[in-house]
Amino acid sequence: MWPTDEELVAAFQRGETSAFDTLVGRWDRKIQGAIYRMVGPTEDARDLCQEAFLKAYRGLRTFRQDARFSSWLYQIAVNVCRDRLRRRRGRTHVSLDELGETGESPPVAVGPSALDLVEARDLSRTVAGAVAALPEEQREVIVLKEYEGLTFLEIAEVLGIPVSTVKTRLYRGLTQLRQRLEGQGIRSRAPVPVSMS
Amino acid sequence: MDCEAIRELMMDVLYGEADATATRLLEEHHARCRVCRDELDALKRLRRDLARWSLPEEVRPRSRVAGRALPFLALAASLLLAVGGVAEFAVFREGERELRELMAAQGVQHEQDIQALRAPLTRPANRDDEALLAAMRQMLKQSEARQAVLLNASLADLSERTEAQRRYDLARVGAGLAYLEGKTGMQVARTTELMGHVLQASQKR
Repeated sequence: MWPTDEELVAAFQRGETSAFDTLVGRWDRKIQGAIYRMVGPTEDARDLCQEAFLKAYRGLRTFRQDARFSSWLYQIAVNVCRDRLRRRRGRTHVSLDELGETGESPPVAVGPSALDLVEARDLSRTVAGAVAALPEEQREVIVLKEYEGLTFLEIAEVLGIPVSTVKTRLYRGLTQLRQRLEGQGIRSRAPVPVSMS
Repeated sequence: MDCEAIRELMMDVLYGEADATATRLLEEHHARCRVCRDELDALKRLRRDLARWSLPEEVRPRSRVAGRALPFLALAASLLLAVGGVAEFAVFREGERELRELMAAQGVQHEQDIQALRAPLTRPANRDDEALLAAMRQMLKQSEARQAVLLNASLADLSERTEAQRRYDLARVGAGLAYLEGKTGMQVARTTELMGHVLQASQKR
């Protein structure tokens, strides 16, 4: 049986530093992906991912395990993203250009035409730009829910907010995304509710 | 429930976290409210579009070696058990003593096979993971070095600023003293001049 995160944390706290290596191997790609979606280009994501794991390494010895290790790690990742975005002199989102040529591959489809591939790549870039344009607090929730697959409770733990607030931010973020994508002719229209609290 | 109140339930249903009660309440609302029903459909379509945002290859999560290896290990273990079971049945008729001897031999063989299967799980990481660990350690070292450089730079900067402040303060004190000296000198000169006038006046009398 593969050790759980909690078992690896306990091992690390007993002095088995190799347990941290296992945790890194298990989580580095997930965290890097989450960071990429929150801040943008790969170079920043790699740098911030390293920073997040360094913070985790320093804090792991005193980590009390009153929350899930994964929630704690995502919390660190969210905080390094917030710090980086704050240092970008008031810009709270990245432009589509910064997300642009990062080598994203179009999704695989059976017998895609060249047009299909171009359209898929365009859609990927458009979605990236739309998510990047969201307010930071909505973007965080969208990334954690939609792309990292965390539950509402886990997201509430990571961000330190009530579950109802997570759902409200998620709803607002999805509504904004829908409006933006529909405005670019991506999807067919459906009525948008007038009031949004 | 009104449309505002239903939104939390809608999020639960959209992401598969709704219980039966929440689902029923939402369906009841949708039976009366087409706007909310259409909105949920639109959000489901939106999620399909959001899923099209793919990460660059170097950032994409990779499947774990263990995750891929485990089904094969499980299959190998199952086959071993099946083979062992068939062998036991085939020799059953040859007598109890022979059966016992065979079962003992099978037990030894199973134990060895299980140890062989376990060995890869406890062996150190494969080349890719070793390279990652080495890279991670290197990154930690580099980060420590960068931190030390930053700290030294901050200390040097602080020292420089403190020295500059000290010099500035000394210059101000010096200028102040010079001003006072000047004032004092003028005062003395005026007093001396007055004394001279007074002496002259008294001598004339």
